[in-house]
Amino acid sequence: MISKTPGKKRKEPVESVESDDELAGAPLDGVLSDADDGSSLAAEDVSEGFDSEEIDNDEHSSDAESVSSISSFQRHADYKVTTDANGNERYEYADVNPVYDSDDSDAQEQPNTIGDIPLSFYDSYPHIGYDINGKKIMRPATGDALDALLDTIEIPKGWTGLTDPQTGKPLNLSQSELELLRRLQMAEVPEEGFDPYPDMVPYFTGVEEKMPLSSAPEPKRRFLPSKHEAKRIAKLVRAIKDGKILPYKPPEERDREQNQEEETHYDIWANEEAQEPHVMHIAAPKLAPPGYDLSYNPPPEYLPTGDEKKAWQQTDPEEREKEYLPAQYDALRKVPGYGEFVKERFERCLDLYLAPRIRKNRLNIDPNSLLPKLPRPEELKPFPTLCQTIFKGHEGRVRTAAFSPDGEWIASGGDDGTVRVWSLNGHQEWSARLSPDESVNIVRWRPNKDAFILAAAAGEDLFLAVPPLVNDATEKASRDVLDAGFGHAAHNATTDGNNVIKKDTPAKWSRPGTKLEEKGVLLKLTVRSAIKMLSWHRRGDFICSVSPRGQRSSVAIHTVSKHLSQIPFRRLPGLAQAAHFHPSRPYFFVATQRVIRCYDLQRQELVKAIQPGARWISGFDVHPGGDNLIVGSYDRRLLWHDLDLSSRPFKTMRFHSQAIRAVKYHKSLPLFADASDDGSLQIFHGRIVSDLMESATIVPVKMLKGHKVTSNLGVMDVDWHPRHPWCLSAGADGTLRLWA
Amino acid sequence: MLTALPVKVIFTTDEPDLALPETKQQLLVPADIKRYGLSRILNSSSMLDTSSPVPLDFLANGTFLRTTIEEHLASEGLSAETTLTLKYVRSLIPPVYEASFEHDDWVGDVDVFGNRAASASYDGLVRVWNPSGTAIAVSSSGRNGGHSARLDAVKWLSGKQLVSGGLDRKLVVWDYSEADDGFSGSLKPSMELWGHEKAINNIAVNGATGRILSASSDGRVGLWTSSKRTAPQADPESLPAAHSNKKAKLAASATTAQRGPLAMISAHDEPVTAAVFHPHDSTVAYTASKDHTVKTIDLTTQREVSRLTTMHPIMSAAALPNSLVAAGSSARHITLLDPRESATTTSAMTLRGHVNMVTSIAASPDNEYSLVSGSHDSTCRVWDLRSARTGSADEGGGRVSEPVYTIGREWLKNKKLPTAGEGAKVLSVAWDSTWGIVSGGEDKRVQVNRGRDILNS
Repeated sequence: MISKTPGKKRKEPVESVESDDELAGAPLDGVLSDADDGSSLAAEDVSEGFDSEEIDNDEHSSDAESVSSISSFQRHADYKVTTDANGNERYEYADVNPVYDSDDSDAQEQPNTIGDIPLSFYDSYPHIGYDINGKKIMRPATGDALDALLDTIEIPKGWTGLTDPQTGKPLNLSQSELELLRRLQMAEVPEEGFDPYPDMVPYFTGVEEKMPLSSAPEPKRRFLPSKHEAKRIAKLVRAIKDGKILPYKPPEERDREQNQEEETHYDIWANEEAQEPHVMHIAAPKLAPPGYDLSYNPPPEYLPTGDEKKAWQQTDPEEREKEYLPAQYDALRKVPGYGEFVKERFERCLDLYLAPRIRKNRLNIDPNSLLPKLPRPEELKPFPTLCQTIFKGHEGRVRTAAFSPDGEWIASGGDDGTVRVWSLNGHQEWSARLSPDESVNIVRWRPNKDAFILAAAAGEDLFLAVPPLVNDATEKASRDVLDAGFGHAAHNATTDGNNVIKKDTPAKWSRPGTKLEEKGVLLKLTVRSAIKMLSWHRRGDFICSVSPRGQRSSVAIHTVSKHLSQIPFRRLPGLAQAAHFHPSRPYFFVATQRVIRCYDLQRQELVKAIQPGARWISGFDVHPGGDNLIVGSYDRRLLWHDLDLSSRPFKTMRFHSQAIRAVKYHKSLPLFADASDDGSLQIFHGRIVSDLMESATIVPVKMLKGHKVTSNLGVMDVDWHPRHPWCLSAGADGTLRLWA
Repeated sequence: MLTALPVKVIFTTDEPDLALPETKQQLLVPADIKRYGLSRILNSSSMLDTSSPVPLDFLANGTFLRTTIEEHLASEGLSAETTLTLKYVRSLIPPVYEASFEHDDWVGDVDVFGNRAASASYDGLVRVWNPSGTAIAVSSSGRNGGHSARLDAVKWLSGKQLVSGGLDRKLVVWDYSEADDGFSGSLKPSMELWGHEKAINNIAVNGATGRILSASSDGRVGLWTSSKRTAPQADPESLPAAHSNKKAKLAASATTAQRGPLAMISAHDEPVTAAVFHPHDSTVAYTASKDHTVKTIDLTTQREVSRLTTMHPIMSAAALPNSLVAAGSSARHITLLDPRESATTTSAMTLRGHVNMVTSIAASPDNEYSLVSGSHDSTCRVWDLRSARTGSADEGGGRVSEPVYTIGREWLKNKKLPTAGEGAKVLSVAWDSTWGIVSGGEDKRVQVNRGRDILNS
């Protein structure tokens, strides 16, 4: 408490000093207003004078406190003898006056006890507060103005011009106190000359001092034998004398014990139970067993030659393939110690515990097992594999080729405007130039064996020919088939009169001219635009022609026996690309660029529309069974359709790098082929099973390459031998090829 | 020579005139010796002591020795101490090119008789050649009783008679006569045989009985006689005159006797490609067809006796003296079929090596183990049936043999075989003891290669 008050007291002036440093403000005025300027100066002076007075005062006051105690100062009579209430004598001792020099500086001053109330409250009183004993602290006397003036002229040491509010005396601060304040203000360590970062004095270092810290001499006990030990020894001696301790055992007993010790082995694993091998436990990999070259006497072929030895020695030990050189010794006892043994063991240990052993969960799937189970092509024989015959003779591209229904002859047509018939061995047997400038776009044989008729289209003209390669009976029958219509047409003309002629007939039937007639080309019919596709009905009486640019008349069905042409469609959505008759039912398929439509010819209605999803259909073929279609497209796709299944393709195959020009089913074998502009043919095995639950097996079996690609055209047409697995292709390189 | 250890060899043979005495059959020969050295040893005076050297081939374990003995043992995995049994046979001498006879068109068929060869060309003419390459006689053209279309078959009936057939569905029997000097001759049509409805692919003749077999594309086999007297009258329906058109009238203008078949046997559903007589029995014929079958036909009853079905269309056939039938297929190989009823397997051996259809087969005239085949791949190949190996599973098992010699077309010598035999297809081959191997084909040539008896040095 005592220490606290001066702190507080000291603080106030500090504040004022602080604010003084700044410009004098109102609060400062207020603080300072407590003491008059004039009086304050006087007070300083007074206080100076008071210091000595106060001490006197102290002495005086203590005197005053106990008048009687004055006598107590006398040692010999520091008590009074009085009588108490009982009349007994009573010693009354005087108050002890502790006269000693207290070093407590704070205790020097009588603190003012008024607390935290402003001093101005006492302005009207002669005192300014109370000391600890409740006595009034009197206002220090103020000198008169002249004194003050004098004081100002002669500034005493430590003068601040302030009045200590507690005492009303002028507050003097010494130079060191001011310095202290300044340090506090600057947040420095208040003590002057304090070094916060002194150099460390290494007291306890390993350096042995020249002079020991302790100069105590060696204690005596270090030179005296230990009594405690002597006691223990005596105890042992006594025990030995008593026979309680045997200094050594008799030799036989010792041996026995030793033996026993040696024989006692404990199998720490004896009771171990066999554990299930843990999944995560991975046994350490075994070292490779030593080979012949590690033998002390290896076969000579394992011994290194001089060069090998040199090479081994020159390579860096890290890079050596083997860490040792095979060496030969006469006897096992001559083998020196292996210097690398410890290193090797050590490295092995490192390998064992540093190399992580991880069981990797590898997904072991044979990629082949993901492939669909397809039979091997070898099992699907026969199919064509080799080019067997090349038919040369056409000038320019061969655009079309076809096998005769008996499989003996091959017809072809090309850019040179000729139709040629070849024997299977490659010999050209017959040819006729149908048109001087137009190319022959398509040739198709009449599918029946009773007659031998070849249909060929060059430009807008469709020619029907009987090549003179058959016996006379067949040839006559064929001519009869072709000529039968003339009578019919004549008959119609007579009955219908001029109506027929006036009507815009879709086609004109006529004789092609004597030159061609001598060759065997017997009939010509002209439609309105160039024919690109022909297809015979299975009975051989109808043939349909497709001329994609013909607009309304693009698809026409011609009746050979009546020389009659009909246009079944008033309007076709899109360009007609191909048309085929159904092999057994009265259906008719027409392909436009994107859609194949199936019409019932008898009921004259649309049965089905098939959307292969190709951008531009180049051609299609109907399976001889009638329920499946293959479609080839210019956008390189080959599509298999199951008509019963869906209007979308059952299988899409895209194996060609160029457009597919033609597709064809084999008539009797489960084969089909496509011809592409990349100069190759692809042969597929396509077996259809009668079981509805099972889908068709389609396996690509062979790619036939041989045709050269000329001006971006490869193979233009493909056809199958009616019975054998032989395939015929017409190439843009001017050749036909027979593949077998 | 120094390093090679001698190998103990036992020589055996099937040929009695070449047999060694018992004491000389075992011999130690150096291991690096080849066929030629062995042949020299056997021909030496101490061994066979033949007047002129007989070239010999050696069969070790059924295959011809083509390497040194050492290499053979190594390849067979035998030790050098094995006693090797070598069977020696008269060597098939490499056929050497002799001559080519030029034609105007493809040569469809060739046949030889004595020192005369006949060729049938696609221009419809039959030509008779002497060995020096002169066409002694050429048949008349279509207007004069000859053929009006391409010819696919010609055969000598005898030295005086030929028969030819082709696309115009008729067989023509020609009388051949020759001038005394042998440099000119004439072919006169003696008889036309009508009956087939489609092209005639092949003809077989039996000179002793004068019977002719024809194989036609109409699936029928015709049996004819070469004697005009005994030949039956032709069926008028089959004659071209029955259908009155201009061409038929033209054909009929020639005054050749028209005769019909002794029998027309509908044997096959598809074109018959070959018909051959049994080599020892003229009443038995074998027919081969593109319908994959080879049939045995008894000609007296005209019934089918047995049928052998193969996997592929058969393009040619020949009867071998050991009663096997060699059938050349479109699948590029020759199958030796055993038509005997006692046979356990139909296919005795497969001869592999051709790379295109085998269109013609001829048996060797002087032994029963070799044959020659002509193929669309432009080669003729000579096969020796004694050398055979077991075929791999890939080849379908069975016994497989490879060609001994390959005869290419002479003008293609040292060139690669043309693709698909383009321009050089061999259409026909004949093998005769005096002529050697005679083959004709697409290159419009008849080529003669000689095998036996030309090389004695």
